[in-house]
Amino acid sequence: MNIDGLRFEPYKLPASLAPLRAEVREFLASEIKNFTPVHRSNSWDAFDPEFSRKLGARGWLGMMLPKVYGGNERGPLERYVIVEELLAAGAPSGFHWIGDRQSGPLLARYGTEEQKKTILPQITAGEVCFCIGMSEPNAGSDLASLRTRAERTDAGWLVNGQKIWTSHAHRAHYMIALFRTSPPDKDRHAGLSQFLIKLPSEGITCRPIKDLTGRAQFNEVFFEDALLPHDALVGVEGAGWKQVVEELTFERSGPERYLSCFLLLTQLIDAVKDSASPETLRKIGEQIALVTALRNMSLSVAGMLNEGRDPSLQASIVKDVGCTFEQGLPALAQELVDLEPSLASYGNDFQQVLGNLMQLAPSFSLRGGTPEILRGIIARGLGLR
Amino acid sequence: MSELQNILEESVARVLDDSIDNQFLTSVEENGWPTELWNTLCELGLPQILASEESGGMGGSWADAYVVVRRCGYASLPLPIPEAIIATWIAKQAAIELPEGVPGLIPQPLTSDLIRGDSLTAEIARIPWGRDANYYLGITDASELVILGRDGIALVAEDNLGRDPRDTVSFGNARLLNRTATDLPPDAVQWLCAMLRSAQIAGASARCLEIGIEFVGNREQFGRPLSRFQAIQHHLAVMVGAIATVDSMSANAFRAMDHYGINGGPGERDAKFEIAAAKCRASDSVETVTRIGHQVHGAIGFTYEYGLHFLTRRLWAWRAEFGGSGKWAQYLGEVAKAQGGDNIWAYITN
Ligand SMILES: Cc1cc2nc3c(=O)[nH]c(=O)nc-3n(C[C@H](O)[C@H](O)[C@H](O)COP(=O)(O)OP(=O)(O)OC[C@H]3O[C@@H](n4cnc5c(N)ncnc54)[C@H](O)[C@@H]3O)c2cc1C
Repeated sequence: MNIDGLRFEPYKLPASLAPLRAEVREFLASEIKNFTPVHRSNSWDAFDPEFSRKLGARGWLGMMLPKVYGGNERGPLERYVIVEELLAAGAPSGFHWIGDRQSGPLLARYGTEEQKKTILPQITAGEVCFCIGMSEPNAGSDLASLRTRAERTDAGWLVNGQKIWTSHAHRAHYMIALFRTSPPDKDRHAGLSQFLIKLPSEGITCRPIKDLTGRAQFNEVFFEDALLPHDALVGVEGAGWKQVVEELTFERSGPERYLSCFLLLTQLIDAVKDSASPETLRKIGEQIALVTALRNMSLSVAGMLNEGRDPSLQASIVKDVGCTFEQGLPALAQELVDLEPSLASYGNDFQQVLGNLMQLAPSFSLRGGTPEILRGIIARGLGLR
Repeated sequence: MSELQNILEESVARVLDDSIDNQFLTSVEENGWPTELWNTLCELGLPQILASEESGGMGGSWADAYVVVRRCGYASLPLPIPEAIIATWIAKQAAIELPEGVPGLIPQPLTSDLIRGDSLTAEIARIPWGRDANYYLGITDASELVILGRDGIALVAEDNLGRDPRDTVSFGNARLLNRTATDLPPDAVQWLCAMLRSAQIAGASARCLEIGIEFVGNREQFGRPLSRFQAIQHHLAVMVGAIATVDSMSANAFRAMDHYGINGGPGERDAKFEIAAAKCRASDSVETVTRIGHQVHGAIGFTYEYGLHFLTRRLWAWRAEFGGSGKWAQYLGEVAKAQGGDNIWAYITN
């Protein structure tokens, strides 16, 4: 067995991107300078429509969408630079995140002319929030077992069932949902289709679910005889699984897969700074080596995308290693700095960031697929299954 | 990889894979220096990969060298081809010609006080293949390159855990064959060899993984191949992740050498950060790779005959050579401390 197919070629971003990076840094330095560290530590979950619109005005969203549909039509590398800068700085990206990262590219590829004309310009402008309706009460890791049905009728698609854990559904403008459009046959992946749904809509009820932080970010979404127009179907009826798998490649390939806790690393460096023992510096140094390696790997994936190669296996590896890295940081920070994790209402910046990310960390290995499932995908890439 | 690197890797792989198997490695452990393979690799021009074409070299880059050094690790090559590549490069920096034959790299900076007139008196430990070297090369704390011959040396033979020679050589009033000022840091050999070891670790780890994948596909328990068990699949997937971090970081360190060199002045960009990160990551990953590599094999992997140990014993040795994770992690921690939280991202992405 030769494993050369798993390698991560070093990739150096072209020097021509340096001005763009500088511009983003300058923008962030003024735009988020008054945000507290604990607020910034929510980064790709923090919901800030005004900030997203500013990014849109700069031309930094919808980077890969075609110009004819209002997109900026720039390369994946430019998008990469912008996204990594936003995440490393902890810019509030939750409002535009899903639309910019995955729903925009999905619609550009599979949407109807009408959908592209109306929605893609809004994504580029940072004016719309998307949510993803995949998980159901009985379909988590085993997504293909989902049961919410969309039935074709003369009046449109009639939907009945329930989604759960749908991030931002209660404040999103659109949902991209995966429904069953015909009963499963021998191929469990057959008979699923994707839909574009305008929210709020009649027959659709969102009920926010409070998470362990006390905030309500995700939802239960009920579909009770919800009637969707015929053209709500995205792509090909019955090809939903294939489309979703493509979409998840976008989801798995970005720098968000190792940067969710970056702010804690920076806080940790400052918290130990003056009194750091050699042992403490070593532990921090190990994390610096790992985060640098992850960035190189993530760049390598971006380079492969840019060259039109398929990096889905490498992307899964980045996500798996990245998740272990970021999930381990709160415990390490706690070990090195003997201060209580705190809520945002008291404590210093380090304590607040630690308290916030310590609570969020369990979700890093859940959303977008668990390590157990990812490792299965990697094993398949190794030819083990 | 570039087209050229693909060709280079293929040709090096062909020679190494054809020559090196368990029997060969056993025989080198028993009988020492394999002259024929050394000559073949020299004929391929591998020690000269970084020498300019005018001086008879390949005119290659550090990125090309990475391909070769990684492959040496992959093959458990019991010869100092990686060290010879470094010797050639150092000689090029000093614009001197090296003596013929096998170089013995002096791992630590030489104290200038030990040099009286044109001769050196010192006892130097852990010289790779010191017993087989035709000459010795070191850098002084004043950044001078010195070359010594074998005349009048006394030698104590020692091996590392991989059973590759790491000898103690005593020089008694040994005449310097050359002494030339350079602009290399005094500890250049340590930096460069740490980088070599990270590439060798990447290669040997990849081979461990390949052997493991093959094994679990063939070995059956409970009526099916081990590869069908999720616990085994996950073990190997974790190993893949660890190896990916090393391969990627190490390849980037060699690239950084191409771009920035080893000797930036204060505040100047050089490759030291990448090298430190590569060796730190490589040393840290050895635990995962050797633990899982052995675990999936069961008892057979613990035998001498099966030969997994030719890789894993080298991994354990290389983990510590030229600084283990502790040393390099502390260097990186100092960098982080000096930069501060606000600047570390800009530093990493520079
Ligand atoms: C903060 C947050 C936001 C989310 N946002 C969204 C969203 O916007 N849209 C959406 O559709 N979903 C969302 N999710 C849901 C997420 O995708 C699921 O949590 C995830 O797919 C796992 O499903 P589950 O929670 O039902 O766990 P289960 O599938 O029940 O798994 C429980 C445990 O068993 C393990 N397991 C399951 N199957 C196997 C197996 N075959 N082998 C070994 N172990 C296995 C899992 O890895 C996990 O550790 C979100 C989740 C969180 C926490």
